[in-house]
Amino acid sequence: MQNFSKNYNQPEYVDQYPIAMAYVPWQQQATVFEDLNAAFYAGTIFPELEKPFVGRRCVK
Amino acid sequence: MKSNMVNERARLYHNINVIGFVIVDMIEYLDTHPYDKEAIEYLNHYLALKHQAMAEYAEKYGPLSIGNVPDTDCNEWKWATQPMPWEGGF
Repeated sequence: MQNFSKNYNQPEYVDQYPIAMAYVPWQQQATVFEDLNAAFYAGTIFPELEKPFVGRRCVK
Repeated sequence: MKSNMVNERARLYHNINVIGFVIVDMIEYLDTHPYDKEAIEYLNHYLALKHQAMAEYAEKYGPLSIGNVPDTDCNEWKWATQPMPWEGGF
């Protein structure tokens, strides 16, 4: 029975992953924003997860 | 007096929402890092903070959750008499 508690998220397991499946690397850092009010508007308390959309509206 | 009372209420309510958000975010982090003691302590701190803020809000304005009913004065069922969100309540 495969041991699911092992954390397959470590980079060295990448070659064991079945092909054609999507993978999302897990969050590593546990640093947290100081200003939680700003984090509330940013939508996350973790700096590494703050990814504001900086693209532009589709311009004709 | 009325306006700063409303501001105080809105400020406290906003704080409860921010603390609630922080708690949810940390819960999700802990789901993938179940042995991070520091994160657990962080969560416990904010859980206590939320509990206290909800009790304070209930005492001053009215219960936000049924769990806070004991924090309100007993001779009125504020759960029903406090203004509904569409009546300007929260």
